[in-house]
Amino acid sequence: MDSGEYEQEDMDSREVCANGVCMKTTAVEAKLDEGNIQEAESSLREGLSLNFEEARALLGKLEYQRGNVEGALRVFDGIDLQAAIQRLQPSLVEKPPSKKGRPRSESQHAVSQHAASLVLEAIYLKAKSLHKLGRLTEAAQECKSVLDAVEKIFHQGIPDVEVDNKLQEIVSQSVELLPELCKQAGCHQEAISAYRRALLSHWNLENDCCTRIQKAFAVFLLYSGVEAGPPSLGVQIDSSYAPKNNLEEAILLLMILMKKFCLGKTKWDPSVMEHLTFALSVCNQTSVLAKQVEEIVPGVYHRVDRWNSLALCYSGAGQHKAALNLLRKSLHKHERPDDLMALLLAAKICSEDSYLAAEGVGYAQRAISIAQQQAEHLKGVGRHMLGLCLGKQAKVCSSDFERSRIQSEALKSLDGAIALDSNSPDLIFDLAVQYAEHRNLNAAMRYAKQFIDETGGSVLKGWRLLALILSAQQRFSEAEVVTDAALDETAKWDQGPLLRLKAKLKISQSLPMDAIETYRYLLALVQAQRKSFGPFRVVPQIEDDKVNEIEVWHGLANLYSSLSHWKDAEICIMFEGRGETQEALGAYVGALLVDPNYVPCKILIGSLMSKMGSEALPVARGLLSDALRVDPTNRKAWYYLGMVHKDDGRIADATDCFQAASMLEESDPIESFSSVC
Amino acid sequence: MSDDTTTPETTTATAVSAVDAAGDDPPATMDSLSKSQLAIQSLSSILPSIPPTLFSSPNPPHSLLHDPDVSAEISSLLRHHSSGTGDNNLCRWLYDAFQSGDPGLQLVVLRFIPVITGTYLSRATLRRPLAGFEAILLALYAHETSSRAGQPVTVNVPDLSHPSLYHESTTPGKYNATSLNLAVVSPSLEPHGTVRSTRRAWIVGVALELYYNKISEMPASSKIEFCEFCGVWAGDHHDQDDDEPDGPSGLGVGNGGESGPSQLGERRSIPLPWELLQPILRILGHCVVSCARNKEVYDAAKAACRSLHGRAMHDINPKAILATESLLRLRNMNSKPNDNADDDNDNDNDNQQLDSSTDDHDEISISSANTLD
Repeated sequence: MDSGEYEQEDMDSREVCANGVCMKTTAVEAKLDEGNIQEAESSLREGLSLNFEEARALLGKLEYQRGNVEGALRVFDGIDLQAAIQRLQPSLVEKPPSKKGRPRSESQHAVSQHAASLVLEAIYLKAKSLHKLGRLTEAAQECKSVLDAVEKIFHQGIPDVEVDNKLQEIVSQSVELLPELCKQAGCHQEAISAYRRALLSHWNLENDCCTRIQKAFAVFLLYSGVEAGPPSLGVQIDSSYAPKNNLEEAILLLMILMKKFCLGKTKWDPSVMEHLTFALSVCNQTSVLAKQVEEIVPGVYHRVDRWNSLALCYSGAGQHKAALNLLRKSLHKHERPDDLMALLLAAKICSEDSYLAAEGVGYAQRAISIAQQQAEHLKGVGRHMLGLCLGKQAKVCSSDFERSRIQSEALKSLDGAIALDSNSPDLIFDLAVQYAEHRNLNAAMRYAKQFIDETGGSVLKGWRLLALILSAQQRFSEAEVVTDAALDETAKWDQGPLLRLKAKLKISQSLPMDAIETYRYLLALVQAQRKSFGPFRVVPQIEDDKVNEIEVWHGLANLYSSLSHWKDAEICIMFEGRGETQEALGAYVGALLVDPNYVPCKILIGSLMSKMGSEALPVARGLLSDALRVDPTNRKAWYYLGMVHKDDGRIADATDCFQAASMLEESDPIESFSSVC
Repeated sequence: MSDDTTTPETTTATAVSAVDAAGDDPPATMDSLSKSQLAIQSLSSILPSIPPTLFSSPNPPHSLLHDPDVSAEISSLLRHHSSGTGDNNLCRWLYDAFQSGDPGLQLVVLRFIPVITGTYLSRATLRRPLAGFEAILLALYAHETSSRAGQPVTVNVPDLSHPSLYHESTTPGKYNATSLNLAVVSPSLEPHGTVRSTRRAWIVGVALELYYNKISEMPASSKIEFCEFCGVWAGDHHDQDDDEPDGPSGLGVGNGGESGPSQLGERRSIPLPWELLQPILRILGHCVVSCARNKEVYDAAKAACRSLHGRAMHDINPKAILATESLLRLRNMNSKPNDNADDDNDNDNDNQQLDSSTDDHDEISISSANTLD
């Protein structure tokens, strides 16, 4: 084993050792300097009893170490390395890795390994020299031939126990260098196969080296834009997961790296997490990302950073409640209460729920005051969120006075926001909806039009809102023109809500036969959609507003019944109406349990109860009042409340209610404004 | 030139094997040569200043792709306020070049995708006739639809408790696809004959996906144009260091025609739905991470990242915030060991401000992220 070491470096003079002999290189170097390669070589051969190739290999290495890359290349070019490899092969194949306790063959093996490592190192250094000279393609070829040679010499992969350290080092370095060379040479496909070869063959790489290669490959897959294609079937194992495109492969590798870190097998590398974050958020998988963040051992990230990242992940995955809980922690006064991103996100989440709106108001106000000091351009966003939260809060106010105060505050805040961000489409849309809900239809119209201009008509809800506002102004034919324009700009599968709108507009214009035609078309569309609805379609812009088939039947039924086509109506709805009040009530109550604030249900139950005799009247009244608290502009609720009052004998109250209902009818859109958001 | 451009031989070789969907025989070099020479000739009637060397080049599309002067001229024509109409010669040429099915020519068309999509999206809200641009974009969309057979691009996010190609699992169990998280990167494609406004972002997004798939063959100037348009699309939400007040026309020759008001109108931010933002982020990822050695691309990408991060904050869009923050952090990690002389000044100043205040809103506090509790 003593012959294994053959090289030591000194500060001023180098020394080469082989076959148990060492010699100073001063004399050899002097010969090299004179350009006399042959003499230098022969002095090495004599001094260290080496053969021709070995001596040349050592000589080349010497030149390389002296920084004389071109000289090294000249020396290496003089060796027929392939022949040397050929010669190495049989000697090793004949003696496969032997069991311990047979010293003779083992030492033989060691000598051969030594010879092999000399030759392989020569090729490796040749590749490095070519690399330094910028001859990248050739360098890659040489580097590849190191690996090919290793595979030829060691059929079964590299035996981990018996292998020479030096040899292993060369192999590892070559494995790592090859993909880099291919990449730099612009041979992307070769780089990919080099990476896969590095990771899938048995090179006996040490952990750090393997980690570096995995990371480099993941980065290459993720950002190079070169589609790698799935790995060849040869390397795939039946039961295991094999990635089929770049993103999958990159994510797999990055997750493996994260796991290695979590198990304490590698050092923490923050960039791995960043790459993984990028990859998973780009493919919409922030819930998976959240899991990854949660698995990171404490102490790597500051806890507030961790909470905030997790909140973004959950919010991105639609799990808003979870996100809000995390934000509450991170915005606690002992943590980081002034983090603008966290405040804005919290406010946004709160703005979607009336019962959280009051909390959201607090976040938004804090965000505004912080934006004032730090990021002026986000002040508008803060005001926008404040307006939304206030608008939602107003819906659950207990008193009318409080409600109108908060509502006007909401509008003021949104107006303030629009002064700062005059062309933010979301803001313009929210303003339009707010104004429409307050029946300030002219202002609503102005903003709805502006929204369509700003978005170039690319957002469906803008068209619908405009049509609804027009319908609220009783300008039905104009509303229909808008709806038709919107239909022109919409692909077939997204037309459902617009067709429903159109049918209702036809009814409002007393064109029942046209309405039936539209409903029929809509029905055909909905049924076709149900049949061909794959999971991977382009998600319609308004996801929760998919037209429900039953709803269409219902619409048709109402239409027929109003036309006294009772027969048709009966065919349309077999399960609803006509005396089956109890069943209907049961269904409605069920729906109400799912969403206690669902106004239409409350009204329906209220109306059903009001017909069930005097003992049910107080319940009906309670439900209807409740519905009006949430949606004070609901015409139907006022109407049924009026009926309840009338049945109870409170004629004056009833009159008031009917009056409210009729006033509202004059400015009622054919579908609720809030259905657009 | 970008760092990942290569010798002509290798580029065309991979391009032929990769792009070819039109069914040209690989050895038909004579055919494609004459095809591309024909294309160059018809281009010369639109651009009189085409250098004669292009005609004699052994690989005209490749020379065209990497000719900075001609590219700059085409870009500036595409930005011209009257460009993009149905009768615009240049748009026709680009359309024909793409439809020719010649991979080299298709790469040339893709090279101008940043300018085409950039100009198109900025003008789409102004109710201008843009049929020329739309024809090109629809051609790209149709190409992708047919080459993918309308199929979606999906990602099975792996579950490490099952063994994979690259790791063994401690609890070996047979892997079944249902236990994985299936993510749709790009949904299935339906054919579109016209650009309906509600599908506009989607069609442009597919064109950008195509651009991304060939980005390693794109010259640096094309990537820089892309990054500059990112800033425009995002709206300049990072107002601190706007060093190029004249914006995307920085590269264009700018020979007349750019009237004031149209410039103003075209610099407005545009809606960035996810189908548009996702390919934008992927392209930007390439520019930030894979082009780190090309300073010009890198700087443009840096600015684009900041703008998009600002926009993501403005829209409170969690996914976009996460992705852009990661890119910005990666950019900071990269720029640290390299010691780029003038870059360092910026970064140091920025980082010092971070802990005390978030004045520079779009700088991410990696310093605080890395410190231990």
